[in-house]
Amino acid sequence: MHIKEHPILAFKRGRRVEFFFDGKKMWGYEGEPIAAALHANGVRVLRRSIKLNRPRGFYCAIGNCSSCLMKVNGEPNVRVCVERLEEGMVVGTQMAKGDLSRAKANPISSSGGGSGIRKTDIAVIGGGPAGLSAAISANQMGAKVTLLDRNSRIGGQLIKQTHMFFGSEKQYAFIRGIDIADILADKLDKEMTDVMLNATVLGYYREDGVLGVEENNRFTKIKPERIIVATGASEKVLAFPNNDLPGIYGAGAAQTLMNEHGVVPGNNVLMVGAGNIGLIVSYQLMQAGINVKAIIEAASKIGGYWVHASKVRRLGVPIYTSYTVKKADGRESLERVTIWQLDKNWQPLKGTEIDLNVDVMCIAVGLSPLAELLWQAGCQMKYIPELGGHTPLRGEDMQTTVKGIYVAGDVAGVEEASSAMVEGSLAGLCAAKSLGYDNGRFKELREEAINELMNLRSGPVSEGMRKGLEQLI
Amino acid sequence: MKKSGEVVIIGGGISGLSTAYNLARLGCKDVVLLEKESLYSGATGRCGAGVRQQFGLEINCRLAKGACEILENLNELLDYERDIELKQGGYLWLLTTDEEVKLYKKNVQLQNNLGIESRLITVEEALEIVPYLNPEGIKACTFHQKDGHVNPFQVSQAYAEAAKRLGVEINTFTEVTDIKVKNNHIVEVITDKGKIATNKVLNAAGAFAKHIGEMAGVKLPLKPERHQILATEPVEPLLGPMVISTDLACLQEPQGSFIMSYSDPDEPEGVNISSSWRFMEEMAKRVCTVLPILSNIKVVRQWAGNYTMTPDAAPILGSLPGVEGFYFAAGFSGHGFMLGPMTGVLMAEHILGKETTISIDKLDIGRFERGELMREPAVS
Repeated sequence: MHIKEHPILAFKRGRRVEFFFDGKKMWGYEGEPIAAALHANGVRVLRRSIKLNRPRGFYCAIGNCSSCLMKVNGEPNVRVCVERLEEGMVVGTQMAKGDLSRAKANPISSSGGGSGIRKTDIAVIGGGPAGLSAAISANQMGAKVTLLDRNSRIGGQLIKQTHMFFGSEKQYAFIRGIDIADILADKLDKEMTDVMLNATVLGYYREDGVLGVEENNRFTKIKPERIIVATGASEKVLAFPNNDLPGIYGAGAAQTLMNEHGVVPGNNVLMVGAGNIGLIVSYQLMQAGINVKAIIEAASKIGGYWVHASKVRRLGVPIYTSYTVKKADGRESLERVTIWQLDKNWQPLKGTEIDLNVDVMCIAVGLSPLAELLWQAGCQMKYIPELGGHTPLRGEDMQTTVKGIYVAGDVAGVEEASSAMVEGSLAGLCAAKSLGYDNGRFKELREEAINELMNLRSGPVSEGMRKGLEQLI
Repeated sequence: MKKSGEVVIIGGGISGLSTAYNLARLGCKDVVLLEKESLYSGATGRCGAGVRQQFGLEINCRLAKGACEILENLNELLDYERDIELKQGGYLWLLTTDEEVKLYKKNVQLQNNLGIESRLITVEEALEIVPYLNPEGIKACTFHQKDGHVNPFQVSQAYAEAAKRLGVEINTFTEVTDIKVKNNHIVEVITDKGKIATNKVLNAAGAFAKHIGEMAGVKLPLKPERHQILATEPVEPLLGPMVISTDLACLQEPQGSFIMSYSDPDEPEGVNISSSWRFMEEMAKRVCTVLPILSNIKVVRQWAGNYTMTPDAAPILGSLPGVEGFYFAAGFSGHGFMLGPMTGVLMAEHILGKETTISIDKLDIGRFERGELMREPAVS
C-alpha cells in the first residue's frame, strides 16, 4: 500500500504505470524502485534461496545486501530495491541462480570499454552528508571534484531522515535530514564539481591509482590526484532461526520504504534495538500510521537519547530491555516473533518467552562501515566494535595509511550525520590543501572543524565512540 | 615447530601438499611443511581451476592423465567428505588458423596413442556442445570430455587434512629465510620461527622457487609472470566445457560463476598479484566476441596470480646433482594445480629413492644445460 497522507512528507511520484509480476498485471509509479512497487502490491517474496528454496525478500533496501535479486525483462540477478520501475516491465520471482539464457545480448558492452581516463583533482566516493560536505569544502579551497554516487540522486541516507537534527547551528540543528540534503546540494559549486550519478566505484587499481566505475552499465575510469572515501555503512543482521523471512528488514530499510518511497512496510511492527535508529524509526512508523507493538533491547538500558525514547513511550509503545529474539515464524513471510529475556550474563531465560503477532520486524542493532575500497587500496584497518567493525587508521587530517586516500563519515567509524558532515569538510579541506589549493582560510577552517568534532563527541553517550577513535588516530 | 625432519617441504600449494601426503602414505611420516602465508594462497588458490589432458608433450599428457585419474577418485583416496566440484565438461579448444589445426591434429594423435580420448571436431559439432559459441573465424576444434574443472581449495584442503592425519607437520605463516648446505649436502632450513635440521628439502615454492633455489646457491631458469583472471555472478548452467584458444580461456564453475582469463605476451617478468583495469576491459571484449551471451553477466571479482615459466614451458621435477638432498617441483608454467596430484606421487617416490610411476628423467634441471628442451606447444 502506498502512503496517502503524511504529516511531514509530500511524496513526489511519477505517473502510474502498468507492469507485470510473474504474469500478473500490477500498477506502480514510474521511477520508484521495483521492490517498493511490489511491496505496495502486497508482494514481499522476491526470490527463492539457491539451495533450500527458502522465500527471500529485501533486507537493506539501498543496494547493499543483494537479498532482493529478481529477474527483470529477462535479466537475472537485478537488485530490485534500487532498480527503477518502467512502464511494461516484466518482473519475475528468481528461482535458484537466475537464468541468463533469455537475456538479450547487450550490444554496448560487447564492443568493449576502451574509453579514455577522466582526470580530476579529488574524487569523492559517496554523495551522502560526508561526501557532499567534502566536495563543498574542497571546492571552497579551489580544488576540482568529481563526486560519484551509485544512486540516481545525491543526499545519501539524509533523504529518508524526517527528524530534526541536534547539535549546533553549523550542523543544521533543528532542520530535518531531508532538508539538509537539499541545502548541501545547493551549496555544491556546480562549476567545480562534476556529479556522476548511477555510478558505482567497483575498484581502486593500486598499480596506477585509477578508479574503475560502472556508470549506467558502462565501465569507465577516473584518475584522481586524491580520493575521499565516503561510502557510509550498512545495517547489521541478527542471528536467530528464520532470520531470512521476508518482512524482516533493517530499520533503515523500513525507513527508506516509507519515507523515501511512500510505501507502508506493514501493519504491526516489532523493533529490535533501542538505540537512536530504533527509537527514531519507531516514531516515524507511527507517523505513517503503522502500529509498533514493542521495542526490544538486549542491553539492560535504552541506548538512544531520552528525548527519542520519551516520544515513543508517550505514545504507549512498550520498551522491553534485556530482551532478544528467540525465533521468527511464518510460512512465506513473517507472521510471528518469539522474544525472550536475557540474564546479566546475556544468557536467555527459559519460561520468559513472549509471542508477538507481527508482520514486520525491524533490526536496528547497528551499522558496519562499507570499507571494501579501503581494503582494496591496502589501507591499514583495525577492528573497533564501538565504531561498527573494521575501521581505517587515519591521521587528524582524515588521511588513511595510504597516501592520498582520505575517509569521512560512517566508513571512517559509525557515528552520526552531524559528525559525518564535519569529517567530510575536514577531509575536503586537507585533501585540497595537500594539492596546493588554499583560499587563505585553510588554517582557520581546519581548526574550526577539529573543534566542532570535539564538541560533537563530548557527551556521555559518545564515550565508547571516543575510546574507539583514540585507537585510530 | 619440530627441530628436525626427514623431509622439509617449502610451499603449501598443491605440489607441496600432495607430496607431503604421498610421502606419509609411503611410510615417511617425519615430514615438515612450511608455508609463508596461509595454505594454497599462492598460484594454487589463484588459478583458473581448469584440469585437462590435452597437451602436446608426451610427458605432460602422462602427468595430466595420472592427475585426472587421481582426481576422479580423490574423495575415496583421501577419505574426504566435501564436494571437490569435479565437473568433467570437457575442454573445447578453438583453432583459428591452418597451422593450429595441423599442430592440434598431431596433438590429438599423440593423446589418442596415450589413451586420451580427445578428438578433432568440426565447428558444427562444437556448436552442439556450446550452442552459445560465436563460430566466426573458427576453423575446427579439439574436444576431450574428461577435461574440466575442479575446486583448487577443496582439493588442496583434502590433501592437507589427509597429510595431517598421517602425521605431517604443517606450519603456516612460517617463512624460510635460508638453507644451509655443508659439503654439498643440505643440513638445515632456517625460518623466521626457528631452525629445522634436515637432509632433504623439496622446493615447491611456486613463484618463489627461484628465490628459494638461490638460498642453496642454485640458479633456476624460472620466470614468474603475472596472469590475471576474473569471476562473474553465478547463473544457471549455460556452458559445459572450458572454451579455450590462444585468445582466452573461459569456464563455468559448477556453482554457476564464470571464470575467465587470457595471457598477455607483454606481461613483464616478476612476482605481481595486483589487478589492472586494462585486463577487465580487454577480457570483457574478448569473451563477448567468443560467447556473446556473456555481455549481460556481471563481474563480481578480479584477481591475479603468477605462472612460473621455464624456457620450454615444461615443469622441472627431480633433484640437483650438485647439492645432495635438494629436490624441485617447480616451473609448472601455468599447470601446477592440474598436474599437482601426480606431482605429489612422483616426487614422493623420487625423494624416497623408489622408481617413479612415470619416468621424470627428462624433466630434470640438467636438460637446459644439455640443450634438451621439451617445448610444450599447447600452453595457453
